[in-house]
Amino acid sequence: MSQFISKQHLLSWLGQLMENRHLVAPARVDGLILFKEVGRVEDIVFDYENTTLSPKEWFFPKTETLFYVERKDGKVELLPPEIEKETVIFGIRPCDARGITILDLPYLADPADTFYRQHREKTAMVGLSCLTACPECFCESMGSGPQDTAGLDIMLTEVKDGYLVEILTEKGKSLLSEGLLSTADLPKPKAPKTAAVPSEGVVQKMRQAFDSAYWSRVADRCIHCNVCAYVCPTCYCFDVRDYTDKGRTERVRSWESCQSPGFTKIAGGHDPRANKGARMRQRFGHKLLYFPEQFGPLHCVGCGRCVRSCPVNIDIREIIEDVQKMGAPK
Amino acid sequence: MKSDSPFVPYLATLQDSIDLTPDVRLFRIEIDDPEVRANFDYSPGQFIFVSAFGTGESPFGLTSVAYRKGPLEVAVRKVGTVTGSLHELEPGAAVGVRGPFGNHFPLDEFKGKNVHIIGGGIGFAPLRPVILTILDHRADYGELLIINGARTPQDLVFASEFDTWAGSPKTKLELTVDAGDKSWTGRVALIPSVVKELNLSPDNAVAVICGPPIMIHFTLIELKKLGFGDNQIVTTLEGKMKCGLGKCARCNVGEKYICKDGPVFTLEQISKLLEQF
Repeated sequence: MSQFISKQHLLSWLGQLMENRHLVAPARVDGLILFKEVGRVEDIVFDYENTTLSPKEWFFPKTETLFYVERKDGKVELLPPEIEKETVIFGIRPCDARGITILDLPYLADPADTFYRQHREKTAMVGLSCLTACPECFCESMGSGPQDTAGLDIMLTEVKDGYLVEILTEKGKSLLSEGLLSTADLPKPKAPKTAAVPSEGVVQKMRQAFDSAYWSRVADRCIHCNVCAYVCPTCYCFDVRDYTDKGRTERVRSWESCQSPGFTKIAGGHDPRANKGARMRQRFGHKLLYFPEQFGPLHCVGCGRCVRSCPVNIDIREIIEDVQKMGAPK
Repeated sequence: MKSDSPFVPYLATLQDSIDLTPDVRLFRIEIDDPEVRANFDYSPGQFIFVSAFGTGESPFGLTSVAYRKGPLEVAVRKVGTVTGSLHELEPGAAVGVRGPFGNHFPLDEFKGKNVHIIGGGIGFAPLRPVILTILDHRADYGELLIINGARTPQDLVFASEFDTWAGSPKTKLELTVDAGDKSWTGRVALIPSVVKELNLSPDNAVAVICGPPIMIHFTLIELKKLGFGDNQIVTTLEGKMKCGLGKCARCNVGEKYICKDGPVFTLEQISKLLEQF
């Protein structure tokens, strides 16, 4: 027997959640489907493959104030940003929830990134398993899958007239009152098949491919638009800057990309990765070699967003295949 | 504000600043909170981030030694936006300090050995705490050779300490410049050729190098010709950094982070890194 929630009960539950929390869910924004704070259940989109941007920004915002600098009577004081309300993100796909568990590895490592940790503690994730596979998705090859529950507090799987419910954590249990649930003798729908990418053993192959001219050849068409990093659920590089407006200074961090020219350029002009080939190698080196060496898993969940978004068709699936085919350097 | 965030600096005060060269200034900084100040321990080779509030923060190698209990010292060359703002600060100004970060020079392993300190330009600054530690614990170490090189005589950092160093037991100071001036009677040569000319002995010795990449590159070639092994050469790397904690992913060299796994590496460790910085 499985736990079941009817569509009607689901909508009333989501309505209740909005009353004292931020509810973030897929919504239509200028023709895109994005995670957005919603004020009405009618704004929630249910029929989507996946959102254009991952839900990463609710844990690691595009820009985030680290502190404010107040100057009073010649004294400087550093003030923390406001503490936010509890948030529930509804409709996370399994790949994206796994992406958050990947972000946990660097950000929660001691000493923890306190901002990320706070968002993480105050945010619950309600997942929606995939009944169809996106054309570019290869999540199963990256250790996830259409019904992967990693990182989620509650997983929902759509069935006729409602959803099968898996409550996965205490946080999930505290969100969803039993009264809305019933039991149903329904089998879990079969997971769709996702494209297979030969990720097995890629770490070692990446090491061997390090000095190959391949990276420059791939990089030649890169226009360093950085969209790959911005749509990626696991990219986590950042920049930190001070901004002063009307006498008040804030220190802000923001998303950054290793494909940006100048990403590694230091004051004085030295830049160890001054050419595009070196930067391209950094992107895939980080995903498929350095991160696995540092933390274990590959730094990719196979969501396929970068494949879909890249204006010059740089495709991580092809990169993995090419690297696998490369022999050891002579 | 008491914050548990590693991104929020300790408030600190610029005690004073001293011009070391026309564009390098030594900043002496004291952390405001007496308890934090008393417990702020660090070792030669470690670095801190210094904030110029309103402009940003940048990492700087500490040039002071913790056991002397004085203010934190960093030598800052005016070369970018943050360093430009720091150079404009007057004594008494509020700054921020985060750290200390990174590993340190393996001074315990240097004990009983001859130490060759080779620094070029502002790269000499993070080597000063190694010199001070050796001179303050003179019996623990063998001969000390200091090679300090710069573009011109007025660009040599820590000139006011040269007489003290040169007059210390078992210590030799060699100064060199790329281009002399009317009053310069010393050596005019690039550091790698000085290393070659002095014929440094690798026997029971370590070489500690820091400087611009091009200087490091050619100095390494000379040291290897002289027979120095990769584990006898220690250097400190720099990289673009935004956190100091291995989180912003800016300063990685292959799978290592300069901020966390370095900045101090032996040549043996560097030769195993995938990327060449």
